Amino acid sequence: MADMTHIERAMAGLENKPADRLMTYPIACGVNRKLIGNGITYREWAHNPKMYAQAFIEGQKKFDFDFAIGLMDLSVMAGDLGAHVRMDEQNTPFVDEPIINSIEDYEKLEVPDVKKGRSAVLIEGTKLYCDVLKSQVITAGFVEGPLLALTQSAGAERVFMDMFTNPSAVHRALAVMTDYDVEMTKGFGQTGCAGLCWDYLWGNYSCLGDAEYDEFEGCSKYALKLNALTLKEGMAVAIHNCADLPHLDTQIKKFNPSIYSMAYYPLIPGSLTASEVIAGGYADKTLVAGQIDPQLFIRGTTEKITQVTKDLCQEVKTALCKRGLNNSPKYIIASGCEVPPDIHTKMENIAAVVDTTKKYGKFDT
Amino acid sequence: MKVSQIAGFLGSGKTTAVMKIVDELMKKGHRIAIVVNDVGEINVDAKFIESHGLKAKEIAGGCICCQIAGTFSETLAKLHDSYNPEIVIVEPSGVAIPWGLKRAAEYSEAKADMVIEHAPVITLVDATRIDLLVKAVKRLVETQIREADVCFVNKVDTASPAEIARTEAMIREMNPKAEIAHMSSETGLGIEYACELIVNRISPRYDEAVEEELLKKQYGG
Repeated sequence: MADMTHIERAMAGLENKPADRLMTYPIACGVNRKLIGNGITYREWAHNPKMYAQAFIEGQKKFDFDFAIGLMDLSVMAGDLGAHVRMDEQNTPFVDEPIINSIEDYEKLEVPDVKKGRSAVLIEGTKLYCDVLKSQVITAGFVEGPLLALTQSAGAERVFMDMFTNPSAVHRALAVMTDYDVEMTKGFGQTGCAGLCWDYLWGNYSCLGDAEYDEFEGCSKYALKLNALTLKEGMAVAIHNCADLPHLDTQIKKFNPSIYSMAYYPLIPGSLTASEVIAGGYADKTLVAGQIDPQLFIRGTTEKITQVTKDLCQEVKTALCKRGLNNSPKYIIASGCEVPPDIHTKMENIAAVVDTTKKYGKFDT
Repeated sequence: MKVSQIAGFLGSGKTTAVMKIVDELMKKGHRIAIVVNDVGEINVDAKFIESHGLKAKEIAGGCICCQIAGTFSETLAKLHDSYNPEIVIVEPSGVAIPWGLKRAAEYSEAKADMVIEHAPVITLVDATRIDLLVKAVKRLVETQIREADVCFVNKVDTASPAEIARTEAMIREMNPKAEIAHMSSETGLGIEYACELIVNRISPRYDEAVEEELLKKQYGG
């Protein structure tokens, strides 16, 4: 089959049609700031929409990804709600001073103005890179789901305990987070991005069972409402969940996203390999993305990550074939979570994943 | 550098136990650093740690796989270069996965000139709240117990014999291999034994060889 464009390939995957090769998108976001001039700091990148967008544009130029999905980090919403975010060059930013320290604090949450702070950088920056890249690749914005935004604002342990001891307070806070997400979704709806990727991290059997996940995120008040709004705003629903034991039946079969991004944990019993995910039918209607260990981009040699990618391509092609999805690019070769934005991340390893997929992901090899 | 994880869910008495263990280890002449993640109490801890001449760093919650790995390994490397502690006591979040922290700790070997050893992973289980914990956060408690080398039934001074027995039975069911001991962070019971474990015993490293084998098996090569 002749080489397809990125968009033709993605559409073939979404429509269960044959394509020339598997697709690839190592989730390289913050790390692309190294490609702007001589490199800029994370803080500069995360506070300036032009710089934020430029990193994705430079990343696309250098690596030729099949998608552009604009993840910043998981502390954007908590930060704009008032939590203190520690941000430096070696670490992924994180909240080091939460805003919810008592039950009463849950009541004090108010939706911030999404035209200010890093929420605005995220939305404006997404528009800027979509303007440039949407004719080349499928583009998507990225936003934290309500339960993730709440745990980032309060600390996960507190929220999990309060779910049981003070559920009404948690629900009131989740209602505010959902309203915040509604505003974010409407903002992303104006950017021209084709999809919106939700981070629903806590759909994880290590933390919550089906009933608890349904009550505190999966139900019509929260995730289902936001997924429907995403579609209404003209964007496809994508989901990222790098948990060790994700709620696949809920998040893929019930939420029905166009793309689902996940990780693999070899030492966790029950963590599914790419071939098990495909065999389980999860890639039948959704493009599933995964599952290269993000730490390989820092710690692995280029030879090692090349071999891992090559093996993953072969595993995926075989599994797709067994599932009757021959030659359809239903599985995206990607990192299981964001390529670490650490300044030590090896850019050549990102290139190795893309180049290896282009070569060994071809359906006629 | 030896890394000692003292896990347990919010309210399990972790912070009190950590501080007593640190005091005891320092009295014995060990050079100690602490890494905490109990975000609600960081300020209190930081003051305590400062007053004891220790070094404190924080580790992140959030994304389980990648964020902690980078942050924690960087923290350990910096601790090594700036303070060179003999033992680093880590008080992880109740949602952290102990093997994930082991792996992240070993990543720090690439960032500083050192070899990481692990003390037995200690999990504290609050006997006075066992019924609540099982109802509210069973899966998180299970994860921490399953990965522990030694489980301390904590607050045995105030728990009833029935609560202690129920807690022990639950631990045995979730992790038959774990050693079970008793602790009272308040009275100091079990602190000496925890220190002995930390100093004299080793827990296996996160085994990349096992992971390699699994990956080879998975990929058939």
